[in-house]
Amino acid sequence: MSTTDYRCDVLVIGSGAGGAPTAALLAEAGLDVIVAEEGPWVDQGSVVPFSLEQMDRQYRSGGVTVALGLPSVAYTEGRCAGGGTEVNSGLYRRPPQEVVERWRTNWRIDDLDPDAIDVLAREVESALSVQPLPGPAPAPSERLRLGAERLGWTHDESPRWMTYPTGDSRQGQRQSMTRTYLPRAMSAGARLMTDCRVDKLRLGADRVEGADVEFTNGRRATISCRAVIVCAGAIQTPALLQRSGIRRNIGRTLAVHPTVKLAARFTDELNVPDDVPVHQVKEFAPDLSFGGSASHPGLVALALLDQWEDFRDAVVAWREIAVYYAAITSQGRGRVMAVPGLRDPIVTYHLTRRDRALLCSGLTRLALLMLEAGATDVFPSYRGAPRVKSRRDLATIEDTFSATRASVMTVHLCSTVPMGEDSDRCGADSHGRVHGFANLYVNDASLLPDAPGVNPQGSVMAVALRNARHFLAEGWSRV
Amino acid sequence: MRAPSSAVVAPTCEAVLGHDLPGLDEYRRCEVVDFVCRRLSTLPVHMRWGVAVIAFVVDGWRRTTGTNRLIALSNRPLPLLGEYFRLLRSLSIAYVWETWPDTRPDGRAA
Ligand SMILES: Cc1cc2nc3c(=O)[nH]c(=O)nc-3n(C[C@H](O)[C@H](O)[C@H](O)COP(=O)(O)OP(=O)(O)OC[C@H]3O[C@@H](n4cnc5c(N)ncnc54)[C@H](O)[C@@H]3O)c2cc1C
Repeated sequence: MSTTDYRCDVLVIGSGAGGAPTAALLAEAGLDVIVAEEGPWVDQGSVVPFSLEQMDRQYRSGGVTVALGLPSVAYTEGRCAGGGTEVNSGLYRRPPQEVVERWRTNWRIDDLDPDAIDVLAREVESALSVQPLPGPAPAPSERLRLGAERLGWTHDESPRWMTYPTGDSRQGQRQSMTRTYLPRAMSAGARLMTDCRVDKLRLGADRVEGADVEFTNGRRATISCRAVIVCAGAIQTPALLQRSGIRRNIGRTLAVHPTVKLAARFTDELNVPDDVPVHQVKEFAPDLSFGGSASHPGLVALALLDQWEDFRDAVVAWREIAVYYAAITSQGRGRVMAVPGLRDPIVTYHLTRRDRALLCSGLTRLALLMLEAGATDVFPSYRGAPRVKSRRDLATIEDTFSATRASVMTVHLCSTVPMGEDSDRCGADSHGRVHGFANLYVNDASLLPDAPGVNPQGSVMAVALRNARHFLAEGWSRV
Repeated sequence: MRAPSSAVVAPTCEAVLGHDLPGLDEYRRCEVVDFVCRRLSTLPVHMRWGVAVIAFVVDGWRRTTGTNRLIALSNRPLPLLGEYFRLLRSLSIAYVWETWPDTRPDGRAA
């Protein structure tokens, strides 16, 4: 196997919501940037959204990854150019001001001004064309809205990073990183190296000198640079740092939004296999929120699986069924641990007693919401679940639900290298520089000190823009 | 030990499918089992190892006690073992209904 050397000013590891804007800003400022991305480039439209083929091509480990615990929490990570932004639902939320303020005070983050973050969020919104649907929402979304309205619960439509060239809501084009910040980075001269996994950072005393990489075809290479910015996502960033020997406050405080699901059957054919609902119910936010999931027939069958003997008859009616979730802002935490000799990290997550209770009340309320929306049958996803046909059945959920019997999962992962000046708790400083290193930075979801309680990509990107600009203003001249 | 070998996974997967979806024809069943084995080989390393060990134990149990007792075992909410059967079932079910959406609940083609 041959060894090739590459050189650049800044090596950005990962091309997702954190990496792509970082690379664009640095390249546009004239720096020589290499973006190393483990996954392939997959043209949008070449795979069916939310399909098994998409999981094969654009997710890590085909989408089958688990944080061990009681219960274990299934999670998924994008693994392709653009990272999670290519596969996600595209639902945008501006970072809530009170959350930013909480991060600033609780984690002693310098210069984290909620108003300044708001300005950056607007910049993200404009770059990604964040907007509401130009026409009616898909039927499963309308049902959610209807149920909330009948119960008098707060709800709204989440805008998305989509354009609608034909004006048809069903023909949106996702403005993910491969359509926005990555082309910007490349036209400013950044080199994107796909199928290129960074194995290890090369460390000096208090500096990083470069990285060892391996391409999918087995070729190995070394990249030398003056600074490294790790944007490999909340699981892989701490894993890479740990593999490289950096462990202090790294990977110990994983935070997620755990979700539980149900399938709801209506009297008409409302299923939209390749899209997700845009309405979200915020009555109990930030502790608890409700929304809709992808619902192609395979996913409907999966939602029925936990009680298959009793629920399976419904699968033939998948066109009348949509899948919904209840998400909580968890107080639990997890760990990411790179084990020498193992390519993948071990991930654990611990739900607190309050989290489990919240999952139960979330699922019960979500079932109520579905009944109000006109569902004839509701199928909660846990072993021993009742088929809910009327309000009377809701008490049975409360009696029989336990988180350990449920399919708990998450797609929102963060906080494994929290930023801030509290060096007892934080892995990076207020602008993402890893403590103890002059030229090593993190700039992705790992930096968010805790789960924001809303869809996180907007927060990840706003923080990434902030830190990239700070790096250009102050960090670069010092490396 | 590397990926769970399809020699130990496939017979268990077939037995579970035969029980859960008795109407699934042989051609489709083979395709599903192939898919499940392929997916298991892309699991993260530690999961792959864990699955390989459990698959080996379960396959031994199936050989000595037969398919009926295997199915009984698969329906018990046991830690780890239960997770293994759940993994096989979720991959299979997702594949069946994504590939042939109008499959009947017992696995028969529509
Ligand atoms: C299915 C799904 C649905 C979601 N829905 C929404 C939503 O609707 N709204 C929302 O706001 N958020 C959503 N999210 C979350 C959102 O996508 C993430 O918060 C965001 O992408 C995180 O950005 P990141 O830069 O930290 O990581 P990512 O975007 O995951 O990017 C990390 C990149 O680094 C690469 N990488 C990892 N390790 C290495 C390595 N060693 N070497 C080289 N490259 C490496 C990965 O391949 C990946 O491309 C969803 C996520 C998923 C998976």
